[in-house]
Amino acid sequence: MEIIKVNQLNKSFGDNHVLKNISFNVNKGDVMAIIGSSGSGKSTLLRCLIDLEKADSGDIIMEGNPLLKDGVYPSAPEIRSIIMKMGMVFQHFNLFPHLTVRQNLELAPKVVKKEETGVMNQRCEAYLDKVGLLERIDAMPSTLSGGEKQRVAIARALMMNPDILLFDEPTSALDPELTGEVLSVMQSLANEHMTMVVVTHEMSFAREVANKVVFMDSGTILEEGTPEDIFKHPKEKRTQEFLSSILREQRKKTKKQYRLKKYC
Amino acid sequence: MSDYFTYLSNITLPMLNGMVITLSVFAVTIVLSIPLGFAFTMMVRSKYKPISSFANAYIYVMRGTPLLLQLMFVYFGLPLIPFVGQFLIFSRFTAACVAFGMNYAAYFAEIFRGGLLAIDKGQYEAAKVLGLTKFETMTRVVIPQMIRVCLPAISNETITLVKDTALVSVIAVAEILHYAKTAVNRDGDTFAFLVAAALYLLINFVITMVFKKLETKYEF
Repeated sequence: MEIIKVNQLNKSFGDNHVLKNISFNVNKGDVMAIIGSSGSGKSTLLRCLIDLEKADSGDIIMEGNPLLKDGVYPSAPEIRSIIMKMGMVFQHFNLFPHLTVRQNLELAPKVVKKEETGVMNQRCEAYLDKVGLLERIDAMPSTLSGGEKQRVAIARALMMNPDILLFDEPTSALDPELTGEVLSVMQSLANEHMTMVVVTHEMSFAREVANKVVFMDSGTILEEGTPEDIFKHPKEKRTQEFLSSILREQRKKTKKQYRLKKYC
Repeated sequence: MSDYFTYLSNITLPMLNGMVITLSVFAVTIVLSIPLGFAFTMMVRSKYKPISSFANAYIYVMRGTPLLLQLMFVYFGLPLIPFVGQFLIFSRFTAACVAFGMNYAAYFAEIFRGGLLAIDKGQYEAAKVLGLTKFETMTRVVIPQMIRVCLPAISNETITLVKDTALVSVIAVAEILHYAKTAVNRDGDTFAFLVAAALYLLINFVITMVFKKLETKYEF
């Protein structure tokens, strides 16, 4: 079953044509990794999916409902009801600093869904337990480490029961030794068949957790396939170059590099 | 010694009456200018050019002319406007409150605008993807953070306001300084000014304490 269908999507910032005729599908239960060098349009693509950027033309269909149809957006309430079925995790966490961890998780269910307090408290505790932070429920975000903040942000997104979770470089702002705790939470979500689209520089995550890998280069999808296709038999020369340079980069950091198996 | 106390109470009691007026002008101004100031902040940020231009012009005029002049204009000038002037005849106290409220709204508008600039774009984005409306984003996410950023500046402005209330003596509103000057002129003794200074310091001491409390409350 298709969750998101993107067709011929285009987006420019002024003269800079950042997305060129992008088309792809995300099916239920897919974990799609979007890789590519910086400036290739990966983050912009992800932000277009959840209406943080307005695309210029094309279609974005979310579970049969058009968020964008032939370059035309529906009314604001319709957009809101569509993007409420998606969750997003940001590179810089974007927790609400004036609220405790619990309040961060419960704000949207309380305000948007008018959820009953008892049920909401229970779900809040369950999700915090799942990301391993139940004991920090009353902490302020400023007292958390980067990895803890990102795990709270994931729990906050889960509170809205999204059908798909979008991750925009979720570990790029973290110290190398903290990426593992976030990636293992994402791994466990994948094991529960959560549909996810992940923009990432973590090649081992893309290789071992994703079932679909998309390689973007200067605004186009140059190559897509299974991790096996992309990592073992890349067809395009550009993909090979990117992979060999990033693998060389990661081999340098090999001591700090996380090994997924350790966290499974 | 008892003469000394008699004199002190003779000049202080009327000044305490004046202090009630000072505090009234102060309170009415705060209550008027903070919401009005926030409304102007929102107008400046409006997408509609006429609204933002109007708000910008308002702030420019209110900050660009002396408060003393505005005070005299509201009391003496407005009633002279043809046709509508007859509806704009205010009592001294009302005129003082109108002039102060309008003037301070412009300053508060700029303070709030500065506070909003300090809030990261990521906060709006996080609120949006969680499904909050623009209004809910403002009231639940943005304004609580803005208040914390603005508190030191608001505290500053509030203390300035207490001192500026001395200007209303120009339209003969009997506040602290009015009684102090009367006593000084009558007795040829500047001691009354010291009492007036002590009263202003007392008010500002309380205000400083209140803002310290507020800052601890909004700390995160």
